[in-house]
Amino acid sequence: MIVCVAVVGHQNNPLYIQSFTEADDALKLHHIVHCSLDVVDERVNNPKKSGPTLNETFLGLLYPTENYKVYGYLTNTKVKFILVTTDLDVRDVDVRNFFRRFHAAYVDAVSNPFHVPGKKITSRTFAERVSNIVKSFGLSSTG
Amino acid sequence: MDPAGTPLGKMLLEEITPVVMVLRTPSVEEACVKNGLSFVEMLSPFCNFSNIDVPLRTSSDQPYRLHKFKLRLFYESDVRQPNIEVAKERLKQVITKAGEKENLELISDPPQVSNLLDSSKSELLPSWFEYLNKELIRTASFSEHETFDHPVGCLLVVSSKDEQPINRFIDHFNTNKLPSLLNDGAMDPKILKHYLLVHDNHDGSSEKASKILSEMKSTFGTNECHLLCINSSQDAKMEHQDDPWASYKYDGSPVQRLGCCLDVDDISALKDLMHEFSSKHVIPYMEQKVRILNQQVSATRRGFRNQIKNLWWRKGKDDPNEMPSGSMYTFSSIESQIRVLGDHAFMLHDYELALANYRLISTDYKLDKAWKRYAGVQEMMALAYFLLDQSRKEAEYCMENAFNTYLKLGSSGQQNATRCGLWWIEMLKTRDQYKEAASVYFRICSEELLHSAVMLEQASYCYLFSKPPMLYKYGFHLVLSGDRYRKTDQIKHAIRTYRSALSVYRETTWSYIRDHVHFHIGQWYALLGFHDVAVRHMLQVLACSHQSKATQELFLRDFLQIFQGAGKTFEVPGLQLPVIDISSLKVVFEDQRTYASSLAASVRESLWRSLEEDLIPSLPGARTNWLDVQTKLMPKRLRESNVCVAGEAIKVVVEFKNPLQVPIPISNVSLICELSRSEEEISDTNASTSELANDEDHQRVVSSDSGSVILSEFDFSLGGGEKKLVELTVTPKLEGTLKLVGVRWKFSGCVGFYTFESILLVKKIARGKRKAKAKQSPLNDLKFVVIKPVPKLEGHIRSFPEKAYAGHIQPLILELKNQSNCSIKNLKMKISHPRFLSIGNKEVPHVDFRACLEKQSDNKQGGTRANLKKASQGVFLFPEDVAIKGDKPLLWPLWLRAAVPENFLLYIIIYYEMEDASSVMKYRTLRLHYNLQVLPSLDVSFKISPCPSRLQEFLVRMDVVNKASSQSFQVSQLSTVGDNWGISRLQPIDGIIPSQSLTVGQAFSFFFMLKSRRLSSVDAATHVPDLSPDVDNDVILCPGSVKEPLVNATHSPLANFHDSERLQHGIHNQKDDNTVDFVLISRPLKSDTNSEEDSDQPQLFSHHACYCRTASTSPISWTMIGPRTKYHNFSSSFCEINLKMTIHNSSDAIASISISTADSAGQSDALPSQGGWKPVVKEIKAASPKAAGIIAGNSPESLSSLKPVASPVSSFIWSGSSSSNFQLGPRSSTDIPMQICVFSPGTYDLSSYVLNWNLRQDDGGCDQLEAKESNPEETRKLSGTCSGYPYFLTVLQSV
Repeated sequence: MIVCVAVVGHQNNPLYIQSFTEADDALKLHHIVHCSLDVVDERVNNPKKSGPTLNETFLGLLYPTENYKVYGYLTNTKVKFILVTTDLDVRDVDVRNFFRRFHAAYVDAVSNPFHVPGKKITSRTFAERVSNIVKSFGLSSTG
Repeated sequence: MDPAGTPLGKMLLEEITPVVMVLRTPSVEEACVKNGLSFVEMLSPFCNFSNIDVPLRTSSDQPYRLHKFKLRLFYESDVRQPNIEVAKERLKQVITKAGEKENLELISDPPQVSNLLDSSKSELLPSWFEYLNKELIRTASFSEHETFDHPVGCLLVVSSKDEQPINRFIDHFNTNKLPSLLNDGAMDPKILKHYLLVHDNHDGSSEKASKILSEMKSTFGTNECHLLCINSSQDAKMEHQDDPWASYKYDGSPVQRLGCCLDVDDISALKDLMHEFSSKHVIPYMEQKVRILNQQVSATRRGFRNQIKNLWWRKGKDDPNEMPSGSMYTFSSIESQIRVLGDHAFMLHDYELALANYRLISTDYKLDKAWKRYAGVQEMMALAYFLLDQSRKEAEYCMENAFNTYLKLGSSGQQNATRCGLWWIEMLKTRDQYKEAASVYFRICSEELLHSAVMLEQASYCYLFSKPPMLYKYGFHLVLSGDRYRKTDQIKHAIRTYRSALSVYRETTWSYIRDHVHFHIGQWYALLGFHDVAVRHMLQVLACSHQSKATQELFLRDFLQIFQGAGKTFEVPGLQLPVIDISSLKVVFEDQRTYASSLAASVRESLWRSLEEDLIPSLPGARTNWLDVQTKLMPKRLRESNVCVAGEAIKVVVEFKNPLQVPIPISNVSLICELSRSEEEISDTNASTSELANDEDHQRVVSSDSGSVILSEFDFSLGGGEKKLVELTVTPKLEGTLKLVGVRWKFSGCVGFYTFESILLVKKIARGKRKAKAKQSPLNDLKFVVIKPVPKLEGHIRSFPEKAYAGHIQPLILELKNQSNCSIKNLKMKISHPRFLSIGNKEVPHVDFRACLEKQSDNKQGGTRANLKKASQGVFLFPEDVAIKGDKPLLWPLWLRAAVPENFLLYIIIYYEMEDASSVMKYRTLRLHYNLQVLPSLDVSFKISPCPSRLQEFLVRMDVVNKASSQSFQVSQLSTVGDNWGISRLQPIDGIIPSQSLTVGQAFSFFFMLKSRRLSSVDAATHVPDLSPDVDNDVILCPGSVKEPLVNATHSPLANFHDSERLQHGIHNQKDDNTVDFVLISRPLKSDTNSEEDSDQPQLFSHHACYCRTASTSPISWTMIGPRTKYHNFSSSFCEINLKMTIHNSSDAIASISISTADSAGQSDALPSQGGWKPVVKEIKAASPKAAGIIAGNSPESLSSLKPVASPVSSFIWSGSSSSNFQLGPRSSTDIPMQICVFSPGTYDLSSYVLNWNLRQDDGGCDQLEAKESNPEETRKLSGTCSGYPYFLTVLQSV
């Protein structure tokens, strides 16, 4: 199950963070997303690791904590997408697919002329779309 | 890099060293306690040799020298595995003590991230970590499976005071006192023994001791016995320059001076003793042991044969023992011996040998599934690899293996796992693999909170030191650690970690995290009683608009609790509750400009300025600055500051905003001001050079709470997310310099303040400052020079309506008041929109509204206009004798007419001068501003078409649409303005409007006859019969309004308004005879809703239409005069009809006119169907077929004969001159005879002629032309062509 998705701007400022858990663990998820940015930064600044996959946007598993797995995705504009999941065995294909759809949703959201770049995404449509993507992620991974 | 020089290497050289067990009698201890030390403590400093320089040989006879060496001394009781609970307690104490030491640094701010990265590691890392880690490692000491902690030798100590010292020595080795390690067979009980006799010099001479020593020597052998004399210093006042014990007594009490009874000789004796013991006994003993063991091992295990044998033998032992893994290996087993060999070699720094043996043994242990031993060996292998600086990978692999194996063991391996982990971490740190080190720290974390707190904190530092620094993880781990510290009540540690985390989170946009950190720091400080610091942190989270309401309430409640805990009211800098929007800051002050209302003050200064231009006396140079006159009297500083008058309030408008969803009460909101008295004006007038210095000397800062300033205070409550504009005022009472410093407020006990200086005011705040000056110093805008009181005029318009229907005329009264006793003079007034507001002519207010409007016989138009004292540009001068003083207000009538439906802003400026010439201000202006919403009412449009049948008469169609939303109107009167035109009804008065009023949305058209009076007086009387009963200026439209008197449109104020309307509509100043102005007077139909207000006052609406052109643009007009019906006997001849064309030239120029007739017909179709007029031909045809039948002679065939009428076939010819040219003088008429010939009966349209006219430009014509060209709106054609008017003539066959 995906517990949290986040969009983080190129200055590592949170643009959108949404948890999908019942419990009141927003702070924890904030922390997890926040500190997984270190790993993103590291991967971005260390091109030697991502040598053959120079234009690869998918960053893979960032940060395996005790209970969560954190995946990352980096757009060309240095906007990061973070996915926190509790699933222990997640297929890379699923995650990639998720991020691709998430990216599309994000692009649509920021293409809104009323969206101020670098500000938080407040679009309700975006939120709905993301929650749909999140739901379908669960379905495709189990089935 | 020398591995021994690294932190891990040093640590290993300290920790993995031979252990010497010390057995002593109580009297030995007594002698030592005099120095504040135990026996072991006394010896410890001298067991550490940085360069012992002992020659050694490896097992393969390679000579080498041992340099760094250390012995670890332990009492026999300590040589056992430490109790885990005790060890934990001890660790806790260490941590708590370290926490208490933090105290002093608590208050300062945490460093910035950049500083954090620059500062060295030793600065950042708390020093107690090292100590704690050592303690942690020691918790795993003296285990069975590792032999480096097993005592190599034994030091038996007896005091010379003891009875029977020899027996005591023997007693020492009594088995039941010895540690279990020696007894249960884990280690060889045959160890090196050394006998030491301690003599306390306080107890007398050493003779007795010498005796005992010789006795000992005979018993135990000469080499193994020693005498140690201590406490030679009698007075116990020895001071040691470099206290050797300092580093060994970590938690020692500094009360007693350590080693106070030991003099220099004693210390050197101690040194010699330990040196000899190490170099002569311990090391050779160990070397010897290594040699023996090595030979044994070589014999049994080395070589191909032995290995095969071993494997075989091991394989045969495939049923592992059920016993606990440790006890199967006694000291005599070959595995233990190999281990001992390895450890001894390790301790003698022969790492290669050690490694070889560890390798050998590790496979055995693995096969035996003796995991703890296996892990221990792996650990040692890793360390040996490390110290050999070989194969890093191998070292790490071994370490990880060991660590994992220990972890697998569960709780029994926990201590070892920790130790192993710490060593591993050190190893990684040495290689700058901080990130990996951090993850090992993370893995060490156990269930135990305190332990994991420390480990997490250390992990966080690893993240900080890693390259590149991983700040986010640094922060996160600090928070995790702090959380655990808090749970174990280590609040100071918790605060420390959170504060360190702040360096990462302070500037972050991740507000949830930041709030969490600040909030908890605040809470914890409050727990410790540091309320002010707590408040400071809580402040950071107060304005948390992003948090949920519950969280906001929690934050707020805790903040208030902490604040009350502080127990006093104090000023809180940076209280963000409420938030002040500095961009909303607006300062309104009155110098020579005064405002009647705050609304007026908010109007742009430039607007006022443009209005004021004609009012304010222009001074040479800077007209804007009245102080220029007194340049010599006023210092420059004053001229450039804002000026305000003592006793008059300065208003500051600031917006307060509640960022929370929780309502917050705010009280005592007031300004912070400084009023400083300055005597400069009097004492020092022109010393501009020393001005700055004088500033300091002369000014006496008067604090704001003294009586010199009156501050307004406000209490209000802000709901969730509410914004409120608050108007604060300050009234200086004395002259001087007033400075607005900031604003302060009280929020349930705590005083927040906000200084305006804290931000650089980019925005120009004060109004009316020249730009250059605003650039100079924006803060000057908050500085005021307070001057002596001067009179101030207050004024307002009584009951100015907010809404009005367009056209509504209302009387208003302007009330002016002067509160002071000084009189003012020279009042002037200017109104921005004279179209809307007209100034009345009497000082007394009009009691009778109607009287001013109604037409009265004795009204003289000229007289009323003359009364208006209008200066140029619409400036109204009040009469000289008007004086306003004291209580008596001046009332002045005004007329308001809502001219156009729009949202209308009215500006009025009243200018006055001071009677008192000595006052600093010469004049002031009062600015009034009103807002009027004008609703649409009647929309009137006029259409004028020339009357085809009559010269100089026009048909007027007036279309009236009621566009009001809810009001009905009664149209009562239409008037023309001026003497040139008269107007008359076409319909009877009763039939005009059946309902007598226009309801909402209703449109109606009225028709009138308009007649030029001028012409009628000359010609019309002779030519045209006067059909209209009265050709007057006014027409009453409604039968109901007949009773009411006519409204005089030529009288003030209607006339004034009309003039304004004319001005508004065009720039025609010269009279144009072809235009006419109408004034429509209407009254609102009194409905129920309106009945209450102004029921006695008649409401009057006027609608003005100016410059309504009579339809033709040509100055030439004409009529065809002739018979309409003619009987002729066509059988005899064709019919000749004479007609006359009267042509009038209404222009001022001579016109040359040519008329050309054309016989081709067909123009009848081209009749314009404008303005409701329809071609008459068709109507005749349709409406009276009977008549047509008569014409056609009642026969069906004759119907076809009508066709020529409509058909283009011409059946008449112009028989007169086909073209005639003539001149027509200005404003004159002439008659031209015309003739046609008709050949058959029928109805004919005689419009088939064209009239060309051309205005002759004679004397001065060029100028006129130019004038006209320069004015494109008014270009009048100088020539033109007109086609003929339709003129229908019916010719009938006479009988």
